[in-house]
Amino acid sequence: MVQPRRRWRSSGTVLLAFIRRHSAWVAVLLSVLFAVPAVARPPDELAIGITQYPSTLNPVIDEMVAKTYVLGMTRRPLTVYDADWHVVCMLCVTLPSFENGLAQKLDLPGGKTGVRLTYTIRPDARWGDGVPVTTKDVLFSDAVGKDPRTGVADAELYRRIIAIRAVDDKTFVMDIDKLTFDYADMNDFEILPAHIEAAAFANPEEYRFRTAYDTDPTNPGLYFGPYRITELSPGSHIVLDRNPTWWGPKPYFRRIVVWTIENTAALEANLLAHGIDMVAGELGLSLDEALAFEKRHGRDFHVIYKPGLTYEHVDLNLDNPILAERDVRRALLYAIDRAAISASLFAGRDPVANSFVPPLDWVYTDDVPHYDYDPGKAAALLDAAGWRVGPDGMRRNSGGQSLSLELATTSGDRTRELVEEVLQSQWRQVGIDVHLKNQPARVLFGDTLTQRKFDMAMYAWISAPENVPRSMLRSDEIPDAANHYAGENFPGFRDPETDRLIDAIEVELDRGKREALWHRLQRLFAEELPSLPLYFRAEAFVLPPWLDGVTPTGNEYPSTLWIENWRRAMPGSEG
Amino acid sequence: MTRFVLARLVQMAAVLVVMSFVIYTLIGLMPGDPIDVMVASDPHLSTADAARLKALYGLDQPLARRYLAWGEAALRGDFGYSRLYQQPALAVLLPRLGNTAILMGTSFVLALGVALPLGIAASRNPGSAFDRAVNLIALGFISVPSFWLALMLIFVFAVALGLLPAGGIETVGDGGVADRARHLVLPVATLALASMGGYLRYMRAAMIDALAQDYIRTARAKGAGEARVLLGHALRNALIPVITVAALSFGSLFSGALVTETMFAYPGMGQLIYEAVLGSDYNLALAGLLLATAMTLVANLGADIAYAAADPRIAYR
Amino acid sequence: MTMRKGPALVLTALAIAVTAGPMLIGQAGALVDLRHRLAGPSLAHPLGTDEIGRDLLLRLLEGGRVSLLVGLVAALAAAGFGTAIGLVAGYRGGRIDALLMRITDGVIALPLLPLLIVLAALDPRKLGLQGLADSDAASLYRIIILVALVGWTTVARLVRGAALSLREREFVRAAVSLGASPLRIMLVHILPNLASPIIVATTLSVGDIILLESVLSFLGLGVAPPLASWGNMLTGAQETIALAPQLALYPGLLILLTVVSCNLLGDSLQQALDPRGARR
Repeated sequence: MVQPRRRWRSSGTVLLAFIRRHSAWVAVLLSVLFAVPAVARPPDELAIGITQYPSTLNPVIDEMVAKTYVLGMTRRPLTVYDADWHVVCMLCVTLPSFENGLAQKLDLPGGKTGVRLTYTIRPDARWGDGVPVTTKDVLFSDAVGKDPRTGVADAELYRRIIAIRAVDDKTFVMDIDKLTFDYADMNDFEILPAHIEAAAFANPEEYRFRTAYDTDPTNPGLYFGPYRITELSPGSHIVLDRNPTWWGPKPYFRRIVVWTIENTAALEANLLAHGIDMVAGELGLSLDEALAFEKRHGRDFHVIYKPGLTYEHVDLNLDNPILAERDVRRALLYAIDRAAISASLFAGRDPVANSFVPPLDWVYTDDVPHYDYDPGKAAALLDAAGWRVGPDGMRRNSGGQSLSLELATTSGDRTRELVEEVLQSQWRQVGIDVHLKNQPARVLFGDTLTQRKFDMAMYAWISAPENVPRSMLRSDEIPDAANHYAGENFPGFRDPETDRLIDAIEVELDRGKREALWHRLQRLFAEELPSLPLYFRAEAFVLPPWLDGVTPTGNEYPSTLWIENWRRAMPGSEG
Repeated sequence: MTRFVLARLVQMAAVLVVMSFVIYTLIGLMPGDPIDVMVASDPHLSTADAARLKALYGLDQPLARRYLAWGEAALRGDFGYSRLYQQPALAVLLPRLGNTAILMGTSFVLALGVALPLGIAASRNPGSAFDRAVNLIALGFISVPSFWLALMLIFVFAVALGLLPAGGIETVGDGGVADRARHLVLPVATLALASMGGYLRYMRAAMIDALAQDYIRTARAKGAGEARVLLGHALRNALIPVITVAALSFGSLFSGALVTETMFAYPGMGQLIYEAVLGSDYNLALAGLLLATAMTLVANLGADIAYAAADPRIAYR
Repeated sequence: MTMRKGPALVLTALAIAVTAGPMLIGQAGALVDLRHRLAGPSLAHPLGTDEIGRDLLLRLLEGGRVSLLVGLVAALAAAGFGTAIGLVAGYRGGRIDALLMRITDGVIALPLLPLLIVLAALDPRKLGLQGLADSDAASLYRIIILVALVGWTTVARLVRGAALSLREREFVRAAVSLGASPLRIMLVHILPNLASPIIVATTLSVGDIILLESVLSFLGLGVAPPLASWGNMLTGAQETIALAPQLALYPGLLILLTVVSCNLLGDSLQQALDPRGARR
């Protein structure tokens, strides 16, 4: 029996009728959803995006770029490396030197030579609550740093200060245990407000939990820079307002908000929606993300690429018999095309490294052995070293052992994984069999490197200008069970000449002589190759076209140390 | 009925305890020293305290003792500190719960809202062109990897057309309802489309079954209108298994939400668990997993209760 | 009939392509070629190149090998386990059945992905599997085990249903009365007759298993580079989606195609062989 077919409107017509009847609401809904919102922000306010939130705001506890970046707006170190990588005074009045008499040689027991430095704090430096910055604060900070119970991040710095003596409220004298060429460099000595933090330090063990920087972070007395912190939302953002006690030129921006947006896609989305105005190069987009962003939105944003001191390299474990041979190490380097990697993956923004010294450093020399891409030379070196190509294309020595190595790097880093695959492929072409073994950063830096359980490890050092590679290359800095895994000479490099050079450089005050020593060190490094230098990573600053004055430093000190110079460009003065 | 519910609650508690033990054991097998990480995450611990606690609960202690210590603290509401966020684990989790609830809830309603009418419409003429099309669409949606769907949606709407944000929960400094809604469109669309397929097929099958029953023929013979037959009789009966299946698939909805949240950097519970596991934040991972399991068990219980309440033929003993 | 022939053809074509394709194309395409990364289609590279210049077609085929292999092996492992469970539950009945089915339902209902993430992050050295951990194929073993651990439920359910009904059949009753042990009855009498439901269930589960592998590989917890799988080819795609959307498009399309074919095939097999089986 045929089912009677009732007239029944199809689902499609029902839907259309519904929309027509409620078209007004539908229009409103669609416009609300798809209209790009305009985030209203007054012109004297700046919103900055970074990818991490500081774990603490106390200057001496925990090393975090996010913290240094934000604190860079709120205080000034005694001295710092400026954008030309020269040491300059920030909080001090005059940089001590032997010429001006503020630095003097100090004879120490045991025949060692130290140095006595005299610093004078700027007379107009005052904490945000009006209390002047005095030598009392300096002495207090030294006490905090020296006490093992407070758990400061850079204990070495305080160990090297033998004593500090206050001459008056603003002038103090420091005795340092060793006269090194960078004697005037007090960049990392952080000054804490004694009048506020003394209470927290009453019980040194509890200082970390009682510090006002975390329990009362909006207290104006904690900051003496151009800005002070007025509001925070943990994990989300930090608000800074102008500090009336600041001694320098009045900053243009009345208010700065630093937003933490961990995901880079969301970071870009917020840039486009004007939720934030700029992304900090110190802690923002990776280079290839910035390159991709510039390709799509280069017209609306100004991207600055500043080559830096992050030295990306591959450490080679010299205890591995394969890697113990210098010719094999050289072959490894000849076989990879670092220039092409930099050109194609990083748009040439990351300069190829010849050693651990960056091209912008004044002691850099190009007069070192270069290893431009030459697979032919690599093959010749390997043949000469006894590694012959087998039928499967891979090399074996006379004992039948195959030329097989493991390469480790931090997992989850897409850029590094891509580079790894490129390296693996290029090494395979000369018959070297490389297996990739990636690990989380914690494991790599925590266990694998310190216990030297690797063949090759790719990672980066963040260096400083003219940074002496004592812990990296000196033969007594090889971590092992006996010395509780101290030291960072992970390759296990033992070279008496290198040790001598390092010791000599540290104490050579004459610039000319020192430069010569540095050149020798770089040449030695490039000849011996305890690690394969890859490139120096650049940082990408994404700025709006109307923002002037942001000067990336390229070193570990953030651009916010000069934030009083940031301003909106005057109309008509674009570019 | 009450006895049934009570019995099920007891069962639920038992399952939760077993799961907590299993997950706790698994955490102990994570790389590095999980106990060290769990103990030392507390920023208020001095090093002496941390050493003492580690000696107490360390990996050299028998598993049962460690688990009991953890369990005892958990019952007091203390799930330890999150290493990544430097706050108590529960304080990090609970706000995220709200975000995930919004995402899952909206997607669930949307998915059902589309799947049910389509399934009903398709069941009226099994084998017709429309029915075959609906079937194929449903099949497509259960076969598509949800993260790929998200990628395609991001490409079309965020990159190519630039209409919607590619990630996040709100524009910083905004956070108004309209802004939040804009950020929800793509994640909800992804999750709804990914879960819709299953509901669609089940609805269609259940309706076809229901429409073949005797009482339908009786209703039609009595002259009831098509709408009444379809919606009044068949649907009421077909809805029961569908709703229960939907509630039972809560677990897979949560998994889908995890992927969606990760793709869109949406700060929900799923994304938190993923980051906690990969970031070696074991306290957070443990607490998050347990919360997710508990939610799933509650949803299952809800499904069973709803089933019993809706269908008078079912009597739970 | 096309319902079955179509998907079967597609799957066979895929299987042949991924097996033979890479050998035909040759390893030249596997070379990293930084000068031509993210390139569009050309004569040398019919589908273009990936982020470091490798031929995309070759990568897709190699990835297909891994994805299909993992899918198949895991499905077989899961089928084995599921059959065992379903058989015991269906034949023994009573409390064992209730317990096993309760466990099965429990596994289905759990939020699987978070748990799999935890399992994937385990350190195999702590389980005493040092040798396994260091091998090249470590990530393959891991993903197969993980996926099989949760993929057995469909098979278990279907097999149980079939075993339940088979239990009442004459020849089984006869074997019981002749004094055959339960094990013998299960293995010799019931199991051979379960072929149909097992085949149907396995086919239906392959699709889910492939999806599961692709999600885990995408999250970085499945197949690890440089081994390619369709899932891990999509891991980096979100970053390059603006510059090279084809990198995201093709692997996903292939996954979709494969899973749809498996599901269609499974559905039609079910219609033909086991129409009373549980519906999905």
